[in-house]
Amino acid sequence: MSSTRPRALPARALLAASLALSASTAFAQSATETALAQRLDQLAAELAAVKAQLVQLQQAQAAAPAPAAPVAQAAPGSFGTTPPAPGSAPAYSASLLGPGTVLTSYGEINYNRPTRQTQNTQVDVRRFVLGYQHRFDEKTKVVTELEVEHAVSSAADPGEVEVEQAYIERQLTPVWSLRAGLFLMPVGLLNENHEPTAFYGVERNFVETAIIPSTWREGGAQLVGNFDNGLTVQGGITTGFDLNKWDATSTEGKESPLFSIHQELALAKGHDLAAFGAVNWRGIPGLLVGGSLFTGQATQAQAVDKARITLWDIHARWTPGKWDFSTVYTRGTISNTAALNAALVGNPTLIPKSFDGFYLQGAYKVWSFDDYALSPFARWEQFNTAKSYADLGMGLTPEAARAERVVTMGANLQVSQGVVLKADYQRFRENADLNRVNLGLGWSF
Amino acid sequence: MRVVVAASVSALVIAAPTSAFAVDYLSADQAAKLMFPEADAFEARNVTLDAAQLQQLDAQGVRGRSASWPVRVAKRAGATLGFVVTDAVIGKVELIDYAVGIALDGNIRQVEILSYRESHGFEIRLPAWRKQFVGKGSASTLRTGDDIANISGATLSCNHVTDGVRRIVAVVALARRGGTLA
Repeated sequence: MSSTRPRALPARALLAASLALSASTAFAQSATETALAQRLDQLAAELAAVKAQLVQLQQAQAAAPAPAAPVAQAAPGSFGTTPPAPGSAPAYSASLLGPGTVLTSYGEINYNRPTRQTQNTQVDVRRFVLGYQHRFDEKTKVVTELEVEHAVSSAADPGEVEVEQAYIERQLTPVWSLRAGLFLMPVGLLNENHEPTAFYGVERNFVETAIIPSTWREGGAQLVGNFDNGLTVQGGITTGFDLNKWDATSTEGKESPLFSIHQELALAKGHDLAAFGAVNWRGIPGLLVGGSLFTGQATQAQAVDKARITLWDIHARWTPGKWDFSTVYTRGTISNTAALNAALVGNPTLIPKSFDGFYLQGAYKVWSFDDYALSPFARWEQFNTAKSYADLGMGLTPEAARAERVVTMGANLQVSQGVVLKADYQRFRENADLNRVNLGLGWSF
Repeated sequence: MRVVVAASVSALVIAAPTSAFAVDYLSADQAAKLMFPEADAFEARNVTLDAAQLQQLDAQGVRGRSASWPVRVAKRAGATLGFVVTDAVIGKVELIDYAVGIALDGNIRQVEILSYRESHGFEIRLPAWRKQFVGKGSASTLRTGDDIANISGATLSCNHVTDGVRRIVAVVALARRGGTLA
């Protein structure tokens, strides 16, 4: 089209084109649809021409102070095949730079209806997260997320405001980068990829909530290595748990032992640091196999007795075609709990010696159209937050808890690549009063 | 509507740096040479799609996004060997630069990642993932979860690069049918 001819269009014209285009779209269903559609096409073409011109100008501007050697060596009308000087940017990339600062967000609004105790039905803004990522230079960026749970946070409301991530990442070499600050621990399948569009089911699975604390983060530093064979290696030193927070009078420790004593870098006690490592391999398309290990002392020099918390997991995900299978096994241990529990005997919730969980999940994309995709799924999980207790003597040692088994069946309906509707039913084998129907709306960008 | 969306996006962009590369793997020229090592020249063309062609793309389920596409035509002794198109798509929040080489039969010869900036999901650069595209063309589905396997933890990068490759294949096919790309 002739409209592609380079033509100087000031910003005012661009704005006018935008307004005209918006107006055209708004009235596209009217009787003059054809005429408006033609006008729309014309404006779109003109806009494309302006964009192309802008890119050319940017290229010219970027190239102005640099020596013209690579271009000059190329034959007229041809692209030079001379490799760029070491460290210099590819010519194409220089014209299409990403934004320096990007706003990100995800959120979940959930409806939970227990089928046997419908009076406990709830609707909740489970999470509303705003974040930003900012690049300081070509190798250094900051990543942050600020989360509000349960909509309102005040002295009289149940909500919480939390800094979920706040770290600096520096690319040291093409393989290695260094992360420092508050970051999500590379454990299991969910923790680092916890946006509602990334997992099946309205609620996050129990294994990666009750055994691996949900959205588990620590403060510290880690090295991340991405190798050409598909291996990703992560390792570092971080803050750890604080066993002094264990509340033997509440049931919190039974719901999730580590969640009840995590510190989240909120005036975190830093006497006892922890070490962690994670290895993930994605060398075959569609397959992920990995594992992680975290270990550290957790009494923070606040108690006479020391105790070590260790948590490890192995996980795999396989996505052949429309199928999506995943599994996680994780196990945690706390050492020296006999000594710690001696002072807590008589309370309802003593510190467990071990806890573990396992799940299998399968999903299949049965239907897709444009960005719509419907994926029914089923998940079977078993978890035990108090699998064993250290021996305290006859009559004093608590009985190990029974493992809970939960079957979740439902479907995710992707509405666009960043929006998902979810529905599922969860059946609990041990505590059937928890059986429930869930509906959810989630987004992420 | 595209303009409105673009305006919204730009409102979120607080600043634009002069450069933004976490890891650069290849320049566009290097990628072109890698894809067509037998070429002795790469001729610069600019494919411009008109409104009717953009509508055709839309009818194929491919979002045209841009009407203007710079294409490198690989030549040897004056004969056309194929085409190389470079593009950028957003992974999760950052741009991924990539190049697609298309042979004369319209099928993909190679896909190369030029620059990757995200903290996660670099695995789309692995040869095993990119090999899935080789030999596929406009008759192929070219969608993750169908004929292109997803990478766990890099879903958005996989989706967006795959969508981008499908768009480039369709654009080149359309331009060749229209006679603007011989």
